[in-house]
Amino acid sequence: MDPRETLRIAGRSIRAHRLRSTLTVIGIVIGIASVVVFASFGASVEASVIDDIGGTDANNVYLLPASTDDEGPAGGPGLGQPVFTQHDIEQLREVKGVETVLPRGIVQLSAVEHDGQTVAQRQATATTPATFDNDSVVAGRGFRQGAAELVINERAAAAFPGNLSVGDEVTLQLASGDRETLTVVGIVSGTRGGFLSSFGDVQSRYYLPTEPYYRTTTESPTLGVDQKAYPQVTVTTAPTAVQSARAEIEAYAAESDATRLLPAGFEVVVQTSGDVVEEIQDVIDRITRFVTGIAVIALVVGAIGIANITLVSVTERTKEIGIMKAVGATNRDTMQLFLTEAVLLGGIGAVVGVPLGLLVGFGAAVYAEVSFTLPINWIVFSVAMGVTTGVVAGLYPAWRASKVDPIEALRYE
Amino acid sequence: MTATESTTAEAVVALSDVRKTYELGGTVTALDDVSLSLAEGSYTAVMGPSGSGKSTLLNLIGGLDTPDDGNVRVGGQNLGAASEQERATVRGTEIGFVFQTFNLMPRLTAVENVALPLVFDGWDRTERLDRAREVLDRVGLGDRYDHEPAQLSGGQRQRVAIARALAPDPSILLADEPTGNVDTDTGAGIMELLAEINNAGNSILLVSHSRRIAEHAERIVHIRDGLIEEIETVTPEVA
Ligand SMILES: Nc1ncnc2c1ncn2[C@@H]1O[C@H](COP(=O)(O)OP(=O)(O)OP(=O)(O)O)[C@@H](O)[C@H]1O
Ligand SMILES: [Mg+2]
Repeated sequence: MDPRETLRIAGRSIRAHRLRSTLTVIGIVIGIASVVVFASFGASVEASVIDDIGGTDANNVYLLPASTDDEGPAGGPGLGQPVFTQHDIEQLREVKGVETVLPRGIVQLSAVEHDGQTVAQRQATATTPATFDNDSVVAGRGFRQGAAELVINERAAAAFPGNLSVGDEVTLQLASGDRETLTVVGIVSGTRGGFLSSFGDVQSRYYLPTEPYYRTTTESPTLGVDQKAYPQVTVTTAPTAVQSARAEIEAYAAESDATRLLPAGFEVVVQTSGDVVEEIQDVIDRITRFVTGIAVIALVVGAIGIANITLVSVTERTKEIGIMKAVGATNRDTMQLFLTEAVLLGGIGAVVGVPLGLLVGFGAAVYAEVSFTLPINWIVFSVAMGVTTGVVAGLYPAWRASKVDPIEALRYE
Repeated sequence: MTATESTTAEAVVALSDVRKTYELGGTVTALDDVSLSLAEGSYTAVMGPSGSGKSTLLNLIGGLDTPDDGNVRVGGQNLGAASEQERATVRGTEIGFVFQTFNLMPRLTAVENVALPLVFDGWDRTERLDRAREVLDRVGLGDRYDHEPAQLSGGQRQRVAIARALAPDPSILLADEPTGNVDTDTGAGIMELLAEINNAGNSILLVSHSRRIAEHAERIVHIRDGLIEEIETVTPEVA
């Protein structure tokens, strides 16, 4: 029969029971909106994380100790140990394609003073001036090696009443009890350098030159002399040489001082931003799929609502089915009619649910301060889900309708 | 085949040795070896006590039911051998049903109700609505196109039902107690309309308890306990 007439009859029957159709549609709207909310929020978080990490540090290769056992604890005694010796750093500088090697050490602090105000701060990062590229410095400049100079991030600047600014003097209380007075020469955005440190902007950061403030030393197994040693190294490569440099760095890492210094069960891992991005993407993907899977339950509940209401509709309209069959409706026409009714309910649910879900997902993205990403494939999926839900939910009731015996039905009051 | 009545060439409906039984605790024989032929343009009434098999006969001719035995031919097609889909097509194009309880679609207007068989027959929307208006005009409801059944009187509803039965220009009209749910005067009006329709060339098979109603037909088939007792020819009243 004419599909437009089918739609018209189905639509009329939905409109005849406005309240109950609305309630059924609300069930589907909730299901589809939940799927869209979680999917779009997940996609937004993923996109901004990748943007944060992948964008600025694409040429970075990170060297850091990690447990050799995948199942092992994420932290542990090997992780914070100063194992990358000055010898390692010099060797890494020789690798083809490497532009800079940034050692990163931790200087333990207890507090920071300025102008009579004291703010607690656990640690400062000791590194080299090459850490600061022009993009990251929002005021002043990077420090010079060997000078009593300090670079802080915006968060750290805001930690003091009246804000720290370039030129201010700051006294660091070291954990050792020593006090060092330095001049703030630069303010950077975010948290610079270091493994994953560019994600988020929540912690106060203090950056010091390794000379003269970083004093941790270890005996280099290769050279047999005491040298400065660092827990983490970031290597910046030429943009075109990331992969080749990485391979060479891995080869060196196996025979480095760091590998020899690490306790059993730990090794030096070499990661690029790409690896990190992939790992994070994977984790967020998995979380998104899991949460979205839960939202699908809401959709299933909605589908049961449609099945229920369509079944009620079939029962109520048994007589009408009989009439239609008496005037020439085939079993297929009858089935089509009720299936259309169910699909229409599911479709309306999708049409209302998708924008609603996007709106809420957008709100969540704004709240979480990530830029909103439209998950097109998930939207297509949700609309398809709405329609499929209608089909699946309507199939049994529609089949029942097609099996109605017209003689019985016409006798039905 | 032991047809008690020969099937003439112009017969629109021909039943031969039709048997229909129901299993319900015991075997109920609703129709027992019934043979009957209805000529084109004829007007036949079926009379008999309650439970004698009148509705069963109509349902078989109308393709709503299938015989256990024998042949039911409508417009040349054997309904006993037809598929569900083929029977649906016969119901929609060859048969016009008129029921005692009208059986109109409650949410459709008069025009839409009349056009309904044409929907399933795949007519174009404007064509079928034009046709529905034309038939409604013919049954005297030219001013009630857009009324829903609830907004019509019993007699008007039955007229809409008759218009719906006529819409696809069927081979035969099957009317089961068409005056059973309306008062005597309104019933007389309905019978007058059916007579007009028959005069215009349509074949009609009418079921009634009432002899006064049945006498509108040319022939009266008397059945009892699923058997044809007698086929009486009505002598036209001399006014
Ligand atoms: N679905 C069914 N199941 C069992 N028996 C049935 C069924 N339909 C009809 N019958 C039986 O078949 C017989 C004929 O029924 P039918 O409806 O044809 O009678 P009728 O002549 O139309 O009666 P009425 O004048 O009361 O309408 C009855 O005995 C009835 O009980
Ligand atoms: Mg009956």
